[in-house]
Amino acid sequence: MIGTFFALVAKELIGFFRSWGLVAIVLYSFTLDIYITGAGIEMQAKNIAVGYVDETGGGMSGKILSRLHMPEFQKPVMFTSREALSRSIYNREIMVGLIFESDFEKKLKRYGRTSIEMLLDSIAATQSFQALQYLQNILLDYADIGIPVELKIHKLFNPNATTSQFMAMAEMLSVITLLGVILTAVVFVREKENGTWDIMLLMPIDPKLIILAKSFSQVLVIMGGVVIATGIVLFGVFDVPLNGSIAAFFLLSFFYAFTSAGIGLFVAAVSKSMLQVAQLSILIMMPLIFLSGAWTPIHAMHPLLQKLSLISPLRYYIEGSESIFFRGTDFADLWSYFGGVIVLGSVLYFYGFRKIGRLF
Amino acid sequence: MSPGVIRAYILKEFRELFRSRLILIVYILPTMIIILFGYGIRMEVTDARTLIIDNDNSTISRDLSARFEHSRYFDTRVTSGMGEQEALKRIKQAKVDILIIIPDSFEKRLLHGEKTEIGVFIDGAFPVRATTMQNYVKGVIYDAARSLTDKKPTNLITVNSRNLFNQSMRDEDAIVPGLIGLILLVAPAILSALLIVKEKEEGTIFNFYSSPIKKSEFIVAKLVPPLILHTVNIFILFLWATWLFEVPFRGSFLLYWAASQIYIAISLGVGLLVSIITRTQIVAIVLTIIITIIPGFLYSGMLMPISSMSGESKIEAHIYPVMYFNHIIYDTFLIGQGLDSPKNRLYLTILFFYAIFLILLGSRLMKKELS
Amino acid sequence: MAELEIRGVTVKHGGITAVKDASIYAERGEIIGLIGADGAGKSSLMHAAAGVIRFDGEVSFGGTSFGSPREAERLKPKIGLMPQGIGLVLYKNLTVSEHLSFFSKIRGLKEDAALNDYKHRLLKMAGLERFTERPAGKLSGGMMQKLSLICTLIHRPSLLILDEPTTGVDPLSRLELWKILEEIRESEGTVTLMSTAYMQEAEKMDRVYLFDSGTIIASGTAEELNETVKGYVYEPVACRSDRCIAAGHYTYSLDPLKTPHKEPTLEALFFINALKRGVEIPEIVVSERESEEPIPQVVMEAKGLTKRFGDFVADDHIDMDLKSGEILGLLGANGAGKTTFIKMLLGLYPIDDGELVLLGKPIRSAEDRLGLKARIGYVSQHFSLYKDMTVRENLLYFASMHGIDAKKASSRIDRYAKELGFTSYMDSLPTELPLGINQRFSVAAALLHEPVVLFLDEPTSGVDAIARSQFWQMLKLLKRKWGIAILITTHYMSEAEYCDRVVLLKEGRKVADDSVENLYKKHPAAKSFEEIFLHYYEDGR
Repeated sequence: MIGTFFALVAKELIGFFRSWGLVAIVLYSFTLDIYITGAGIEMQAKNIAVGYVDETGGGMSGKILSRLHMPEFQKPVMFTSREALSRSIYNREIMVGLIFESDFEKKLKRYGRTSIEMLLDSIAATQSFQALQYLQNILLDYADIGIPVELKIHKLFNPNATTSQFMAMAEMLSVITLLGVILTAVVFVREKENGTWDIMLLMPIDPKLIILAKSFSQVLVIMGGVVIATGIVLFGVFDVPLNGSIAAFFLLSFFYAFTSAGIGLFVAAVSKSMLQVAQLSILIMMPLIFLSGAWTPIHAMHPLLQKLSLISPLRYYIEGSESIFFRGTDFADLWSYFGGVIVLGSVLYFYGFRKIGRLF
Repeated sequence: MSPGVIRAYILKEFRELFRSRLILIVYILPTMIIILFGYGIRMEVTDARTLIIDNDNSTISRDLSARFEHSRYFDTRVTSGMGEQEALKRIKQAKVDILIIIPDSFEKRLLHGEKTEIGVFIDGAFPVRATTMQNYVKGVIYDAARSLTDKKPTNLITVNSRNLFNQSMRDEDAIVPGLIGLILLVAPAILSALLIVKEKEEGTIFNFYSSPIKKSEFIVAKLVPPLILHTVNIFILFLWATWLFEVPFRGSFLLYWAASQIYIAISLGVGLLVSIITRTQIVAIVLTIIITIIPGFLYSGMLMPISSMSGESKIEAHIYPVMYFNHIIYDTFLIGQGLDSPKNRLYLTILFFYAIFLILLGSRLMKKELS
Repeated sequence: MAELEIRGVTVKHGGITAVKDASIYAERGEIIGLIGADGAGKSSLMHAAAGVIRFDGEVSFGGTSFGSPREAERLKPKIGLMPQGIGLVLYKNLTVSEHLSFFSKIRGLKEDAALNDYKHRLLKMAGLERFTERPAGKLSGGMMQKLSLICTLIHRPSLLILDEPTTGVDPLSRLELWKILEEIRESEGTVTLMSTAYMQEAEKMDRVYLFDSGTIIASGTAEELNETVKGYVYEPVACRSDRCIAAGHYTYSLDPLKTPHKEPTLEALFFINALKRGVEIPEIVVSERESEEPIPQVVMEAKGLTKRFGDFVADDHIDMDLKSGEILGLLGANGAGKTTFIKMLLGLYPIDDGELVLLGKPIRSAEDRLGLKARIGYVSQHFSLYKDMTVRENLLYFASMHGIDAKKASSRIDRYAKELGFTSYMDSLPTELPLGINQRFSVAAALLHEPVVLFLDEPTSGVDAIARSQFWQMLKLLKRKWGIAILITTHYMSEAEYCDRVVLLKEGRKVADDSVENLYKKHPAAKSFEEIFLHYYEDGR
């Protein structure tokens, strides 16, 4: 029994390592792909292009402009007229346009308050909003508003608020899902296509054992990728903090890999050809990834989507992993994530066993 | 080129597309992407789960809490007497996003003009949201504090901001037009690659190899069906954007259409190139997705404006076609300069030649023989 | 100058030379045969002649010559190519009539009454006129090949290139395919270049070229070729040496034997060539089974077995039994229900109606089969091996699936490899090996657990003559030494004669069930078993 199980696993692993194309795709996904996403996708506003028109002739305006610097702002570009500035914004070369009107400084001296005219390209809404906040914070430093309240703000878990760490982690979880589903589905459908599945069904073995062993082999491949990605990309390149237990993360990943293999099993059970596998995987995985909270926290979603997300195993996995890496949640408090992943996985295998078992 | 041959081939492609139900993917996938991403991506923070521990329970502290309770940005619960450790644990369990601790004798010190301190803890696991939440909290508390003192602020510089293009800073306006660019890059490429690779994988490609059909006829026959089918998507996606997501449309529809049509041609060129180097349908799909989705996102301007890019990423953005198309798309939806802008004219021209270049390159590289 | 001349053509696939310096000629109206083992280079030469692959050398047809696919373009209106593989060039979702209209349009034919008449004629010749609205994917293998052929003929090519159009096709469809070819060459003077695995077909051709590892080693008419080997062919007699081999109804020997000579067939060419070149043809040995489990007298008993797919009845109340020590041949046209029947026996398809008793046990549910799996062996149409594992790994894997412990498995595998003659291929991947070797070791895989009954579904399609002869030798030995029951399907009617008993299926019904001798007695006029087969099929048409 155990011997047969490992023979099945070994066979799949041999097959995997012999198809260099597959190995290359898996390696690429667990390293470069995660790196590109982490390094490339930046949601925090940075390096904002600023232009200005200064009608005052320097002084206060110069002081303010000198406070606009990296990493938040590019060096402000001077424009000679409002029209030129506005044209540049319309052509989307400049995101923030500041206009210091001629009486800007005069007003400040006379009334103690003054204002800057600002043209803001607010297409990228979040970034624009942040740009506005940055600017207001800078200006607030000059003011003496005389409030006796001091705010002590602690940003927990990721104090520098680096998007790359978060994105890299989220992308790794998406990659696990993607490969877990596709690799497993391919393993089963390839047997269907080559006719070897018939032979397997004629072996004096419980088909459940075959299904479990084949899934397990792909789980091993995925776990290998997880170790590489966590070690090299997450910790090595992006310096992702680890506030919880790494063992808990690997255990959760293991269960999750099994569950995503279960989705692959489902896909394989209902498709007849590789093309159908590809189509179905896309149709199933897109919602899965977007209902997971990788891009938007669940509780900020449309209420209907929130309900739907309950059946996405990735939701539990992402929340669980966030908690382990960033929040440092205790192992005992992770039970709901483990529970969600395991329950959904069990349902999928139950279906897979029945569907593929029906051939008997 | 013989129109009869091309027509026969195209007819065959359509029959196969309908009978194999591949046609469903052609229309389900784009709509699914726009709806999922459109509803799924929320950068704006509302209803941040906020826990206020009011250890003072005074008029002022209650007033402060009420300000949070009345804001749509926060979903507030006020409690008193909960220990800091206990409250922090809630954040760790991801049950609370923001924790605000008002110290005891808060009101007394405030009235005596003494300095007092409010502790704020924010879950930073999701960085952009954390920054936004931080700014919200600051805003509410400073506002409240200002209304309490009669002291006039001095040296105050305010920003008189005019939000152009997306006045109310809606996420939908920011994301949905970019999604159209992503979809029109990915979907036609997959379909055109599939139509060719399918024949290679199944062996029917011999009908092309062994007959007098010209390479140009074959390519036209393979690219026209995806072009026609996805042209419909130009309109479907437009409807979703303007009707479902209520994104304003300020520019010229004709420009939107023309640019999208050219963009689909570019996508078909990508598919053609993929089909030349792949043999199996599954590899063709995976490869197309890898080479289109990531640039489609990175250089779309959805998440980061092109003007904020520097160095390599700026150069890469100029190499991929995504940036040029998205510039025009955002212009037609939100800005409305149209062809009056020289930049739009230039970008449209670049897209046009980009399409021609890719398809010509594909035609050159494709061989009418077994390899 | 001949109508078709292929001069010194060499084709390379990624560094490997598939055909070297091959020359062939053909006159107007001739049918030229290419024969040789799997992988000998026939397909590559045909691809070169059709102008679909790059090659060195020159092909000229009707006075126009080309040396590359690009130059071949101007000849393509005159060429028709049907590549190897059943239904390969067909679009599974398109109907028969849509195929004809598609192929006539891409050939730019004028849509007129003449074309319509021609289409009707082709449909009629192929016997497809009743199926014009059926999608190609739902046709039987034989029908697919006939449809492919008429699609290739639609533009009246003057050079027809057919790559194994009859492999895996039943005798009746083969005959019909041939009729179409004969008609077309009579009326159009078409030159046909055709490869085949059936030597009876090759004998009907005007000239035959024999390929061996990429070179043409003999050519001429069937008589001329037979003449060259006549001296080496004898009546069957036991003999075994490097220079002598007994195969089926013949014995081939380079040295003179005392036995009388026998009239050769083209198959002799393969054996004599192998002997002359000193190619080692390992002798097949089968030793006793290790297990001493008794074998029941009646291994399988089916009563009224029925399988329906929607309205279509694939198997209609079939009775059949199988005894130990018996080789039962299951024959029938493509789509007659042979594979479906075997799959029902195995439990791969549920049984819709009827009773089945396997190894003395009535089968009513999946549970009834559990204990029997260890005693059944099965080889499917496509051999079903894992392409990314070596022969040894495949065999070890199957052994462990049967719960045979590793030591016992290794020794058994080594023994089979030696006895069945594939020791030198143990560490190669199945894709690198000739079909004949794949076939032999997939049978070995099905024998690892020493089953008492063996089901073989078309194990010999596309396999060359020598490998087939060895295969049958192995089956006979298995029957004698192990006493097991074997059920086999085949399209080679000559192989039916090696069976103890044959069952003939026609459109899902059993039409004959008797020993080969009795059938010959019932049909005294028949010269070969093929004629008996056709007799049953032509009845009531």
